[in-house]
Amino acid sequence: MTAAVAELEDGLGTLAGTGNLLRFQLRRSRLYLLGWLAGLAGGTWLVAQSFPGLYPDAAGREAYALTVNTPAMRSMTGPETYIEAYGASTGAMFAHQMILWTGTLTAVMFLLLVTRLTRADEETSRSEVFRANPIGRRADLAAALLLAGLAAVALGALMALAVAALPGGQDGSAILFGLAHTAIAVLFAGVAAVTAQLASFASTANGLAFAVIGWSAFTAGVGNAQENWAVWLSPVGWAQETFVYTPDQRWWPLAFAGIVAVLTVWLAFALVTHRDFGQGMMAARLGRAEAKPGLNSATALTFRLTKGVFWAGIITMLLLGAAYGSVLGGADDMLEGLSETERAVLERGGSSIEENITATFVALNGLFASLFGLLIVGRARKEETQGRGELIAAGAVPRSGWPGSYLPAALWAATAATVVAGVFLGLGGASSLGDGSYFATGLWASLLQLPAVWALTAFAFAAFAWLPRLGWLRWLAWVWLFIVLYFATLLELPEWAQAVSPFHHLAAYPAEDVDWLSAALVTAAALALAALGYAGARRRDLSFN
Amino acid sequence: MNAVIRTEQLVKRFGHVTALDRLDLEVAQGETHGFLGPNGAGKSTTIRVLLGMLRSDDGRAELFGADPWKDAATLHKRLAYVPGDVALWPGLTGGETIDLLGRLRGGIDKAKRDELLERFDLDPRKKGRSYSKGNRQKVALVAAFAADVDLLLLDEPTSGLDPLMGAVFNECVKEASAAGRTVLLSSHIMSEVEALCDRVSIIRKGVIVETGTLAEMRHFSRSRLRATLKNPLRGLGDHEGVHDLKVDGLDIECSVDTAALDDVLAQLAVAGVAGLTCEPPSLEEIFLRFYGDELAASGVPNGESK
Repeated sequence: MTAAVAELEDGLGTLAGTGNLLRFQLRRSRLYLLGWLAGLAGGTWLVAQSFPGLYPDAAGREAYALTVNTPAMRSMTGPETYIEAYGASTGAMFAHQMILWTGTLTAVMFLLLVTRLTRADEETSRSEVFRANPIGRRADLAAALLLAGLAAVALGALMALAVAALPGGQDGSAILFGLAHTAIAVLFAGVAAVTAQLASFASTANGLAFAVIGWSAFTAGVGNAQENWAVWLSPVGWAQETFVYTPDQRWWPLAFAGIVAVLTVWLAFALVTHRDFGQGMMAARLGRAEAKPGLNSATALTFRLTKGVFWAGIITMLLLGAAYGSVLGGADDMLEGLSETERAVLERGGSSIEENITATFVALNGLFASLFGLLIVGRARKEETQGRGELIAAGAVPRSGWPGSYLPAALWAATAATVVAGVFLGLGGASSLGDGSYFATGLWASLLQLPAVWALTAFAFAAFAWLPRLGWLRWLAWVWLFIVLYFATLLELPEWAQAVSPFHHLAAYPAEDVDWLSAALVTAAALALAALGYAGARRRDLSFN
Repeated sequence: MNAVIRTEQLVKRFGHVTALDRLDLEVAQGETHGFLGPNGAGKSTTIRVLLGMLRSDDGRAELFGADPWKDAATLHKRLAYVPGDVALWPGLTGGETIDLLGRLRGGIDKAKRDELLERFDLDPRKKGRSYSKGNRQKVALVAAFAADVDLLLLDEPTSGLDPLMGAVFNECVKEASAAGRTVLLSSHIMSEVEALCDRVSIIRKGVIVETGTLAEMRHFSRSRLRATLKNPLRGLGDHEGVHDLKVDGLDIECSVDTAALDDVLAQLAVAGVAGLTCEPPSLEEIFLRFYGDELAASGVPNGESK
């Protein structure tokens, strides 16, 4: 009896100071929380606002439903139950297309939040400052999880408000939509609380938790594509299985998320007292004592450091290409389901809808593939501001090697991503159209975008070389090109504003004939920008901190 | 004498801030040269100009007789550099980083590398993110000392090292010097510079205010003198080589210009000396003399007195 009381008191003692810590953490995290909550709920609200206007009539939505009912599109959206309800409910269409993405972003928000309040603080010894005060061993974990819980409730309420005006719902649909996000949030807060105990470093803890997100997206994708049980292995899948806004709406799948959340939180609290402060349950893995022979130049280092971005680009563009390809088969039906404005976007002067859509898709693919080139250029700047490049720049390396090797690395990633997108657009298109010859068309159309991809990437590098502080320039350029590609006709942009975009100058093959002259000119512009970039890299001061 | 490093009237500006204001620095071949100054005086900027990372706005900088801005890559084969705050790649191990840095100069002496890892007590299998500040510093130090180069540029290399490792570092610098390497050691740890350096340059606000051997510097500086006399002595305070004289009965205490020591001792002998101590100035005192006014501004009354 007394032993039990002592144990209980000990248990509560480990939580001493949680309240004060919670207030402090809330204050520290307020910008992070505000930013994420506003972004997630605000973005959802914007989309929810626009949906009824974009798809006003049931017939249009039903036609659209046909095009999304392919395995590839279901894997990127959700279960068929929603698709069947497209005609009856705008809300079902919205929930079908949104939950996978808002759910995944919610998971990202909460795992990063919990890691930064637990493992990251321990790694940087910030929490040593708290622990020296009268605060229990479990108090920082408890405070972090309480804060995450409050944020999860706030997010759920905001998400419910964001979709409250959507037509076609059942009783409590908006609340269920919000609750689904709260459930995902709490679950991933629990997952991150566990990975924070396992790993010794915030980056490892985040990596483990991101692997759970990857698992979640993968199993949901496979399960929805194949219409099988795999979706039940996915936390985001549980949210999708509520069939919110459809006539089959149900609440109980969220109970799985609740159970897993409770288990992970329990596990995290059990683990936290079984390890030493500053240590993880898993010892940090040791690596190679000596470098592989290949790691022998600044260029080799650059390619190694950007490997992660490279593969992220390949996988993303593989999925995007395949998804675009799979849509082509139903393009005629899709066209009927589109609003007037969307049809105008797709108009490229081709003789068939497939040709028009292909021309649009390959330009989009090129633009998205360029993102990864831009990200790699951003890495070069990071190496400079974080001082790591200094050791390399002090070696026998010319400026063309460091930071110059970031241009070939960026071009390589963007090019490979474009080619992969082309291959899978071709494969997906050939299969959905039932026409093997489309493979060559889709791939060739994608390859013809490469000059523009190179020009944009080389521009980013030149901007980095000459105006290193203005990192936003490359993102501004990207967004502008996106606007030109998507909205030029809608917004009636003047020709000069469109002429900035290298994609604008390339012929819209296969809707138009290949224009070799403009392809050559855009390639020349890319070369000129690259040369300008190298000249800048030679001229300017390197400012390491 | 062959100068490995020579700057003449070197100027570097960052916007409105003049970081180097006509800086003259010369380091002869084979010497270990101390580069002293507080944070922000321009030590790192000088070294980065010498490394060709920053372009000078005026004046000249030479490394091995060549222009460090134009010929950076070629010159870097002959030197190794250790920054004051080493940032490592989180995903690369210490061993990989050391090998990479060695290969950038055309190869690494494996036996030397392993010996240095042993001496600095560094585990090369750990990832960059898991090293403490001192261990990150060791990674760069092992890479630098293992390199077969003519010049070592060390920018506050021992910040974060414990005293034991500081001693290993001192040994390594002495060995490098014995092997004929030129060393530029920027530091604000006086004992380190006193122990290692043949010559010293003191930098202040982007200008070299004093340069020379320690013996030369002492000669132009003041010794601390305490004496107990047998008879009272008058007129000592009037001597122009005597400063901060305090008289307490027969006990006197003052600072004396090295050039005036002869004279002052002769006067003391006339009064009769019961006890006498005379300390040459430490490098720290020499250094602080150049910063007297800044210390006064920070509320330290007199830079020279202890």
